[in-house]
Amino acid sequence: MLSGLQNPRQAAAQLLNFGLILSTAFMMWKGLSVFADSPSPIVVVLSGSMEPAFQRGDLLFLWNRNILSETDVGEVVVYNVRDKEIPIVHRVVRKFGTGAHARLLTKGDNNAADDTELYARGQDYLERKDIIGSVFAYIPFVGYVTIMLSEHPWLKTVMLGIMGLLVVLQRE
Amino acid sequence: MYNSLTRIQNVFGFFTTVAFVVAALIAASDFTAPRTPSATIKPTNVQVVKGRPHYYSTKKEEYAIIKFSLNADFSSLFTWNTKQLFVYVTAEWPAAPGAGNSANQTNKAVIWDSIITSPSADHLSNLGPASLKKLRKSAAGKTIDPSRGKLSLKNQKPKYQITHPSGKIASTDDVTLRVHYNVQPWVGVLTWNQDSDLGLWKKMADGVSAAFALPALKKKEGEKAR
Repeated sequence: MLSGLQNPRQAAAQLLNFGLILSTAFMMWKGLSVFADSPSPIVVVLSGSMEPAFQRGDLLFLWNRNILSETDVGEVVVYNVRDKEIPIVHRVVRKFGTGAHARLLTKGDNNAADDTELYARGQDYLERKDIIGSVFAYIPFVGYVTIMLSEHPWLKTVMLGIMGLLVVLQRE
Repeated sequence: MYNSLTRIQNVFGFFTTVAFVVAALIAASDFTAPRTPSATIKPTNVQVVKGRPHYYSTKKEEYAIIKFSLNADFSSLFTWNTKQLFVYVTAEWPAAPGAGNSANQTNKAVIWDSIITSPSADHLSNLGPASLKKLRKSAAGKTIDPSRGKLSLKNQKPKYQITHPSGKIASTDDVTLRVHYNVQPWVGVLTWNQDSDLGLWKKMADGVSAAFALPALKKKEGEKAR
């Protein structure tokens, strides 16, 4: 154990290895981001407003390119309200006009009313640029880890500690 | 080499690999199930009334209330990977001449929608205890219930009264009703009704109403008295 500490060359190699793992993960995320043209190509569902389709902790894959057709009524989109950085996953229920300035209204399947109340003051409709992607694929539950991490911050420290220990203690 | 840490790592790694491969296989199995959806829809009663967007608003807008009859057979969409089917009816009309810059500017609004859960997802439905019990009883012992995909609505009231951002919707021509669906899987890709056949998935048979016109404004009873 801790042989790395006695051998500086091995210690450096392990440090590099750790850096490589981190940067690979970062590159994959950014690569996916470029591919899907979305600042956040994978999101975790945080609320129950789309139940029963999506529960808290489900993982959604987003696609933000309009290659074949425009973002249309019925699509489930993730949008950011103007001046607020909280992504919301809801379904488009109305669309007036076409193109970049088409006016879109969204609503959660599980909500009684549409999202007018959620939008910024004076904002009655969304535009295409407010949307950061349409949901195209779904994996249940996997993202619950991130909810756990954000609700119990001490878990982050523990996880990082364990990961660091694993990499440092790993021989070869 | 063979300490408990690497063993835990290996077991966890193998577990995630197997879980993702199984999930991918389940997702891929969607494409092996044929889909033959069909629907017919027609408006039965259309009226336009004046109203306010919400209680405290002073703005008056015109609202179209479109009642419709719908017969649909979506039973082929229910497979073992179906979590829910989201069925929605849209009203679509072109932009008023002169109002838009191009002729194909269209307006689309959902007037009615319905969540149809698969029996495997019944427990997730947002229903009261009584109706949830009824729903679960309707498919007791079944994991897949294609009969839920059969819809027959007569003179159905719309869930949403629609308007246009301009507040004007009365006497609009060329309105059509269209039936759509969205299949939500347990794992895999979300799918909507296609415009053309795709492998074993047929495009929806019919599902569009004939074009109709919205009537002129009809005064509400309350307003006449004032």
